[in-house]
Parts: sequence; C-alpha cells; structure tokens
Amino acid sequence: MDSTTGPPRRRWRHGRAGIVLGVALLVTAALAAVSSSGAGPRAGLATGSRAGQTSAAVTALLKGIPQSGSTLGSSAAPVTVQYFGDLECPVCQAFTLGSLAQLIADDVRTGVAKVQYRSLQTATQLSSTFRRQQAAALAAGRQNHLWDYVELFYREQGAEGSNYVTRAYLAGLATQIPGLNMRRWRTAASAPALGRQVSADESSATAAGLNSTPTLVIVGAHGTRALVGDVRVAAVEQAIQSVR
Amino acid sequence: MPARRLRPVMFVLTALGAALAAYLTYTHYAHVKVACTLGTQCETVQHSAYASVGGVPVALLGLGGYAAILVAVLIPDTDGSRLALLALTAVGFGFSAYLTYRELFTIHAVCQWCIGSAVVMTALAASAAAHYVRADAVALD
Repeated sequence: MDSTTGPPRRRWRHGRAGIVLGVALLVTAALAAVSSSGAGPRAGLATGSRAGQTSAAVTALLKGIPQSGSTLGSSAAPVTVQYFGDLECPVCQAFTLGSLAQLIADDVRTGVAKVQYRSLQTATQLSSTFRRQQAAALAAGRQNHLWDYVELFYREQGAEGSNYVTRAYLAGLATQIPGLNMRRWRTAASAPALGRQVSADESSATAAGLNSTPTLVIVGAHGTRALVGDVRVAAVEQAIQSVR
Repeated sequence: MPARRLRPVMFVLTALGAALAAYLTYTHYAHVKVACTLGTQCETVQHSAYASVGGVPVALLGLGGYAAILVAVLIPDTDGSRLALLALTAVGFGFSAYLTYRELFTIHAVCQWCIGSAVVMTALAASAAAHYVRADAVALD
C-alpha cells in the first residue's frame, strides 16, 4: 500500500472500529436492560414464555423440599428461620432472590433449617391489599405450595406503590404453580381465617419489636438471633450455627 | 504476538468458552445439578432472575455468541471479519461484565463457570482488539 494513503486509511479504520464499538455498547446496554426488566422491581406479572421460565426456575429451586403450610423444609430440622416479609417489599425481593435462594440450597435442602414465612406490612400501602396478597400466599400454603407462591410473587413483583396487586394479578401467580387446584385456592384465599392469620403474624412481630422487612428470627436449641435487611447468606449461616 | 498467531489463540479460547456455555446450557435443560466447587453458589446463580434474558437462558445466549465468534474466526481473514470479531467480542465482554457485577453485588453468589466464561470472553475481546489494530501495521507498513 502506498504510504501516503496510510494515515487517512488508518483514521478511517479506527473511525469504523469506534462506530462498531459504540453499537456494541448499545447492544450490551439493551441486553442488560432486558435482563434487569426480567428481574427487577418493574417486572410485573409474567406471561407467555417468561411465565414458563419463571415457574420452571421456582420448581427447580423447591423440588424435593417438603412444604407444610407456611413452612419450607423438614419438620425435624433443628433450626427454624422465621422470615417476616411483605410481598411488595423490594428489599425482601433482593433477599429472596439472592441470599435466601442459597440458604434454601445449603441449609433447607440438607435438613439443617426450615423456613417459615410470616407477614409484616412495610412496603404495601393499603392494609386491605396487604391482607389480600398475604392471604393469597397462605391459601397456596393450604395445598403446601406457599413457597411456590412467595417465590413467584417476588420474581414478578411490580414497582413499589404502583397498585399492581389486583385480584387478576394474584390469580395470575396462582395459575403458574403446577398442581395447584385453583378452585380450592380461590375458596381459601377469600376465607376470613387466613386474614386473621396475617393479623396474628403482625401482632407477634409488633410484640417482638419488629418493624422492618425482611427480618429473620432464627430459633434453635441454643437461643434466638434476629437479622434485619438484605443480609448476606454467610451472616445467616453463622447465626444458624450459633443457635443450633 | 504477531497477528497471524492471534487467530489460533482466538480459536482455542472460543472453543473453551463454547464448551463452558454448552455445559451450562445442558445442565439447564436437563435439570442436572451444576458441578460447583463453591458449595451451591452456581445453583443460586442459575436459579436467579438474571439467569435468562427475555425468557432465553443466558447460557444459551452465550453458546450462540461463541458460535458466532467461531464463524468469524474461521472465515477468511479480511478487514470485515476482524471488525465482526471486534464487535461480537465487545458485546460478549460488556454483557459478561454486567452479569459478573450482578453476581457480586445483587445475587451475592459466584458461579465458577460463569466467571470462567467471563475471563475467556475478556481474553477474546483483547485478542480481537489487538488483531484489528495490528492489521494497521500489516497493511500500512
């Protein structure tokens, strides 16, 4: 190549590479945005293939672990982790999708601990909505699917304060649980008993001085520990070992 | 390293990355537990909400990405193929960096296979950039 044409050609090549890298950056940002929208607080009720993927991920997480009412794990587990949560709470979402998933795999699946889900209103604006959504989860628990419902809710949580929790939203989550009898779920979800159970959870949280979600109350033969917030799994496991 | 030696290096790196992505894709669809030296952290990452993009498993996206890079490595070495390599590996590097950030700061769990793929993709992006830049020296000197 003629050396006099070198610098212009080099500039042209570098300019072209710059444009390509710019486009690559945009594609990366688009992929990250789609990824976040599938996981973040604005995801909302999943439909179509995303619903199938979400449901399959929850089934894989919980497969083989016994559920009874609001408890996940073996009844013989020496440690009980009471998880006080609000289904609309974004910090609970972060905790559930992060540390709790690992805790389930490490300690619940192995029979070291069982997790009980309990209700404490923090992020949900209306008490009536809070009772209805928490009762919907408890209704799934009547068929030993509470944790499927809780996991699906957090994975498909909407934006805080956007009033996305409607009867259709709650039923939409329930339809994503394989094997859930929808007729029995609807009957149970509207029963006053479950609303009273939500109130009882809140009363016990108030009595214990709890006012934040997520709060974990970890109970074992050697005592009780409380952890607040999106805590790392290492901190939870340390607490489990200290009370075991 | 001379530009002509970069292509075999990129071929090996791409094959390695594709093997990692293929393994994770297999475990996803076969519902097989991922072999993990870090306890169950790989499982945590695989079951996280960031494990798919628009319903497509990230592992499958990675496999598709490595397949596209492999094609760009194997076609005749032209300015266009070098530019394609640069673009593909830049996207791969950027998205790997995003996913690693999510593992460390959102999921709080690290999947060794994902980190391995991110390292491979970083090496590929650096190689593709060097391959493209060194074409200046070949063509212009």
